Amino acid sequence: MSELLDKIAYCVEFGKINEKAPYPPDMKGQLGADELTKQAIDEGIAAEDILKKGLVIGMEKIGVKFRENQVFVPQVLMSAKAMSTAMEHLKPFFQSGDVKRNGIFIIGTVAGDLHDIGKNLVSMMVEGNGWEVVDLGTDVNSDKFLEAVKSNPGSHVGLSALLTTTMVNMEQIITDLKVASPETMVLIGGAPVSEDFKNKIGADFYSPDPQGAVEYLNSLVA
Amino acid sequence: MFMTKAEKLGNLLNGHNIDDINLFRPILMHFAARFNNKTYGEFASDYRVLVESNMKALEYFDMDMVGLISDPYRETSAFGAKITFPDEAVPRCEEIIIKNIDDVKDLKNPDLYSEVRTRDRIEGARYFSRLLKGEVPIIGWIEGPLAEACDLAGVSEMLMQLMIDPDFSNILLDKCMITGKDFARIQMEEGCQIIGMGDAICSQIDIDTYDAYIKNRHLEIINYIHECGGIVKLHICGDITHLLPSIKDLKVDILDLDWQVDLDVAYKILGPDVVRCGNIDPIQVLNESAEEIETLTSHILQKEHGKKHIISAGCEIIVNTPLENLMAIRKASNKYQL
Repeated sequence: MSELLDKIAYCVEFGKINEKAPYPPDMKGQLGADELTKQAIDEGIAAEDILKKGLVIGMEKIGVKFRENQVFVPQVLMSAKAMSTAMEHLKPFFQSGDVKRNGIFIIGTVAGDLHDIGKNLVSMMVEGNGWEVVDLGTDVNSDKFLEAVKSNPGSHVGLSALLTTTMVNMEQIITDLKVASPETMVLIGGAPVSEDFKNKIGADFYSPDPQGAVEYLNSLVA
Repeated sequence: MFMTKAEKLGNLLNGHNIDDINLFRPILMHFAARFNNKTYGEFASDYRVLVESNMKALEYFDMDMVGLISDPYRETSAFGAKITFPDEAVPRCEEIIIKNIDDVKDLKNPDLYSEVRTRDRIEGARYFSRLLKGEVPIIGWIEGPLAEACDLAGVSEMLMQLMIDPDFSNILLDKCMITGKDFARIQMEEGCQIIGMGDAICSQIDIDTYDAYIKNRHLEIINYIHECGGIVKLHICGDITHLLPSIKDLKVDILDLDWQVDLDVAYKILGPDVVRCGNIDPIQVLNESAEEIETLTSHILQKEHGKKHIISAGCEIIVNTPLENLMAIRKASNKYQL
């Protein structure tokens, strides 16, 4: 069992989606996260183990590499694609309750900002670490975040901004969220955002990289 | 001896009397529009507003160059995407027009004179040229091949295509490169002495991918601009320290460095011939006091004394930056300039 889960983790870490996928070149023709996950299910390995001892491990490893500049965005996107392809096989187990998510994470790029690459990276990394992600997209205002929190009790929220002109919109959203749902933790991130800015606007956590967001969220449910 | 700003730039590039030259070139877009009491939408969609806003800023801040940069979507529009212009936000691309390899193969390089948004920039170059008469360098602008490919195909999709589909990537990047060269040549013909090439997304890829897909295309564009008699200013937002060993080979004239890059490290890698432009954090220019910014600028200029350098923020000046903060960079620079 352990060897198969290690292989799944390896495929996610190196972005090997399936047998047909040409990436990474040195794994051409080998089975990918897609086939190996199906194989693991067929062999009776618990879906929870596939998730937490396979997929999550792979995503953690790529997250750390990204933080350390050993890999860059394209490699992380390939890992996330491998992970999401494998997750398709686990969907029935989530729906039946056999596999429990860590929690629900709501994420969006704040009002006025249409950039989604940072949001998408965080979204994929968090999902790949066992969280259900509600992605509200880009240009999201307070009302949409409040509605999503109301629909998903106990969830936490991530706000992304790429532009200095739009990061200022985070403050109003946080103010509104904290009034409506004080227990909701709000994470912020994006190129112009900093720890100082987090403190200034009353956010709960700032991370310069997606893995930091994952680690913070996991600490909330540890 | 009086020198025009164009002559000062020439001396800096040629290494003549560089101890006495400190040029100042902030990247102005939304800020310039606001400074001229215009909306960003007007700035991006009407060359007269863009040029007049820059001219007003040139006069007030005594900058050493002006530019035609406005937003990423000039060429994207010419390729066929629909662009809209919110009043106070970056223009929006309403659709991704490259969805698969067939779209890539069908994509036609546009006639840049006949497409509205590229023609608008060309007219801007002409207007600047008429006003400045060669005394102040004009920076034309093109999208770099990867930035343009991402504008056309979507950022995530294009970055994944680099990993999985060389045909998709190479064909699209070539078409973007061809249009980039065309656009550069036309802007030079209309009076731009410098061509800025913005390829922001490159900071997000590793050096192997850069070398495999982008480096030779950058080189081809840069060589072409040089053959046309132009000067090249390469702008890649973010931390490009990991790419500098490859960028060194490009023979770029001016390299913008964002605030994350150490100017000394860049100098050691690039050598003395490349003019490094930067690199105060725009957030500091926005938030700190004018005195702090003047001190910070002075520190940079002291370190850069005798080297080829242009003082600037690492990236665009933020729209609501206090005027006195931007002026503080000019003031500090004046102390080092004849």
